[in-house]
Amino acid sequence: MEIVVTLIVGLALLFSNIDPTGTAFWATMTATLFAATALNFFILDFLLIPLRDLAMAVTNAAGEKPTDPLANPNTPRYSKNGFKPLLQFIYEHAHDGMSAPDEKSENSENPQAKHLETALRETNTGFIVMDAHGKIQYANHAAPVKHDTNDTPQLELLFETDNTFANWLANCRETAVHSEQSWMRVPNRIVGDEERRIFNVTANYEKGSAAEVVIVAYDATNIFQPEDDELDFISFAAHELRGPITVIRGYLDVLEMELEDQLGPDQHELFKRLIVSANRLSGYINNILNTSKYDRRHLQVHLSEENLGNIYDTIKDDMQLRAQSQRRLLSVDLPLSLPTIAADRSSISEVLSNLIDNALKYSNDGGSVAVSAATEGSFVKVSVTDNGIGIPSSVIGNLFHKFYRSHRSRETVAGTGIGLYLCKAIVESHGGQIGVTSVEGQGSTFTFTMPIYASVKDKLQANDYTNAGLISSSEGWIKNHSKYIS
Amino acid sequence: MAIKSILVIEDDRFIGEMYVRSLKHEGYDVDWVVDGHDGLVAVTSKPYDLMMLDIMLPEMRGPEILKALRGGKVDKIPNTRIIVMTNFDQDDESRMAMQHDVDAYLIKAEITPRKLIEVIKGFDTPAPVGAQ
Repeated sequence: MEIVVTLIVGLALLFSNIDPTGTAFWATMTATLFAATALNFFILDFLLIPLRDLAMAVTNAAGEKPTDPLANPNTPRYSKNGFKPLLQFIYEHAHDGMSAPDEKSENSENPQAKHLETALRETNTGFIVMDAHGKIQYANHAAPVKHDTNDTPQLELLFETDNTFANWLANCRETAVHSEQSWMRVPNRIVGDEERRIFNVTANYEKGSAAEVVIVAYDATNIFQPEDDELDFISFAAHELRGPITVIRGYLDVLEMELEDQLGPDQHELFKRLIVSANRLSGYINNILNTSKYDRRHLQVHLSEENLGNIYDTIKDDMQLRAQSQRRLLSVDLPLSLPTIAADRSSISEVLSNLIDNALKYSNDGGSVAVSAATEGSFVKVSVTDNGIGIPSSVIGNLFHKFYRSHRSRETVAGTGIGLYLCKAIVESHGGQIGVTSVEGQGSTFTFTMPIYASVKDKLQANDYTNAGLISSSEGWIKNHSKYIS
Repeated sequence: MAIKSILVIEDDRFIGEMYVRSLKHEGYDVDWVVDGHDGLVAVTSKPYDLMMLDIMLPEMRGPEILKALRGGKVDKIPNTRIIVMTNFDQDDESRMAMQHDVDAYLIKAEITPRKLIEVIKGFDTPAPVGAQ
């Protein structure tokens, strides 16, 4: 630049008719060269270099890689030339812009993650995430998870045998893209274990997701435990009562056999009363035990091919004795020619004995009770009819509720109020239905249906001879079960 | 094959005596032991036609005795019938597992001596449809 300036000055002097060989000309030219060189350095140092550095800084701020190294704004040059604040501003802005997402995550997402982490640690609701191989990838502190011998986390929940998480998941993998399922009242440990907790569980399935299964286990121990404790006590008390009642019934039987020829007619009658009362007591204990069992949702019953007449035979002597001792006439017509039914023998004998016992109790002195059965579609319908006091229509709707006893029956007839509740539970667990018709003052007819074995054989075989297939097809008892738990 | 000899394994004295008395009265040859270990020794050292087995027994529980007798490849007492007699309300699965290995599974409180004798006599004749 300085050469150009010097040439211009030289030409200007020549055009001004100044002698190019004179001292003045060369002195002016030399002075001009020096001045131009000095100006060049000044412009380079104070203007061009800072402008270049600014351009690099802006390039960098725009996210491009600069061709030269970035200038240091703290060097004295930038303090002197006043570019320091400008460079700093660009650098700071570039830093803000480039790290904006990170800064945001530090300032807003990370605190959220921290809150989430704290919540997952503190909550008593379990969260479990599984991958596509069923491996647990995450489980929080409250999650019902145990570690096996290889220290691999495993789900620790005791599902009902016919409705397990594993079955649901296997089904999802075969047939679903996304699915959701809930289970109520699932314990992690067996009854009596100190660590036992009871959960309401919801699982979500999303095929192909990294978190294929997400399980939320809401700890409802405080809701269910008091009821469980109560059931434990009832069950325990009933077991304890079974011992003495075995001895009482057994020795009455032995004594009656051994003293048969030595007793007078009135003593025989006293024996009968003892036996009937002991049998009733035994029946009540069974009712209590079975109610606590059904209330625990032990719904699974194994059903087999049974003949109603054979089932009745197991309680026949007891029922006839009860009828005789109360001066009732009991007639039972359950012909072996009826189709066989799918039933749990002891459960159905309890239904029969509860219904017959009720009919005897609510009959009048000398009254009759008739038990009969007939085929109705794919069911066998059993009827127990009495000509007793009947049931007011206002209370019929409450009859099958737990502990319900009508005002009148409370005054006149002994009972616990769980017999009909249990009958309904048992009948519906077989896929049947129970009902009653009654006219006050004339008598009542209780009916219940049992599936004909041949009609459900395939379903039973498919479900390992449990009632699982029958309940789900009967719309019933599992869905409505909670309403019986009061 | 008619039942003649019976081993009763029952730790409750009242209940044990009751069975022994009524079964002897009926003409059976009855031995009675009160703990599980003695029961296992007795049934493997003398041939019985029938063993009555409680579940909650001292020394060795009923299911363990059953396992020792019929849990392996060879049934150690193939000619002996077994009736499980209990007042213990087992869960369904345990009950089903035991029922698989025995001839009858009865609740003591439900079975008076006379009914028990009916069940034992039932072994002498083929069972009707649906009978246990």
